Amino acid sequence: MVLTCAVVRGTTTQRIDVPRHSRRHLLRAGGLLALGAAATPLTGCDPFGRDETPPPPDPLRPLLDESLALATAYRDAAAAHADLAARLTPIADAHQAHATELARMLGVDLPSAGPTPGGAATTDPDAALTDLRQRERGGRDAAITACASAPAERAALVGSIAAARATHLEALK
Amino acid sequence: MSERAAPPTSAEALAAALSAEYAAIYAYGPIGVRLSGSARTAARQAEAAHRRRRDALVVQLTTAGATVPPDQAGYALPFPITDRASALRLAVEVEERTAAHWRAALAATSGGDRDQALDALIDYSVRATRWRRTAKISPLTVPFPGRPT
Repeated sequence: MVLTCAVVRGTTTQRIDVPRHSRRHLLRAGGLLALGAAATPLTGCDPFGRDETPPPPDPLRPLLDESLALATAYRDAAAAHADLAARLTPIADAHQAHATELARMLGVDLPSAGPTPGGAATTDPDAALTDLRQRERGGRDAAITACASAPAERAALVGSIAAARATHLEALK
Repeated sequence: MSERAAPPTSAEALAAALSAEYAAIYAYGPIGVRLSGSARTAARQAEAAHRRRRDALVVQLTTAGATVPPDQAGYALPFPITDRASALRLAVEVEERTAAHWRAALAATSGGDRDQALDALIDYSVRATRWRRTAKISPLTVPFPGRPT
């Protein structure tokens, strides 16, 4: 990982300001801070930032978090239902790829995927598919809304993510 | 930072989408001939969707006083259509290509025009997935629909 000024500053402020991050995240952010401090003499940048007020959260941040949550949900379902794995794994990979692209666009490093909200995997494959469909539908609608207000340079990526989520719904039929 | 060509205006992006719609409508001619049953019905419905967007674009560009690109007498198909399998493969490709043109229009548009472009991108991406299912192509989806590869 390349520790440039922008990356270190972006991740540390993001990490510390988002309250729902776990202790592990904070510890990891602390580690990045230390790394950033160590890198200071080399890069000549101040990892602590000059401005006191943190930047407002990026409007695409929820889309990134959702991509990671969806990737986890599909991976969990694929692990629990071997018969569905061939269908679900490419979709999990697509959500992961979306998260990677969004993180790059936002200038943050890719957060590790958290546990699936509402966690416990169901033993019924039909129920698992119903759950994934519901999540995917919500994700598609959120991406459509985000695309409508996205600045020009972000519209194409967000549009592709909305379209991908729509095709996932079709693939789950 | 290197110099790049100016991004297309909204009218230019929509004109490019219109040209793609012309080509898609043309392609569904030979595609439909090679299909039967529910696949032929799906081809007819897909062609109708492209015709609807073509007609809307012609009105839209004309009303805006923009240049309306002319339809061509014929379009080169990327490979010969000889049977059901090649027809289905072309149907996938037609939907992916038109989706790509509408995706390119997203950055150039805002408001209602962007909604229109996103609606087309989603519609054609989903149709491409349906064609892949009919053709038994796996996986059914691509990670970034409409993105140039």
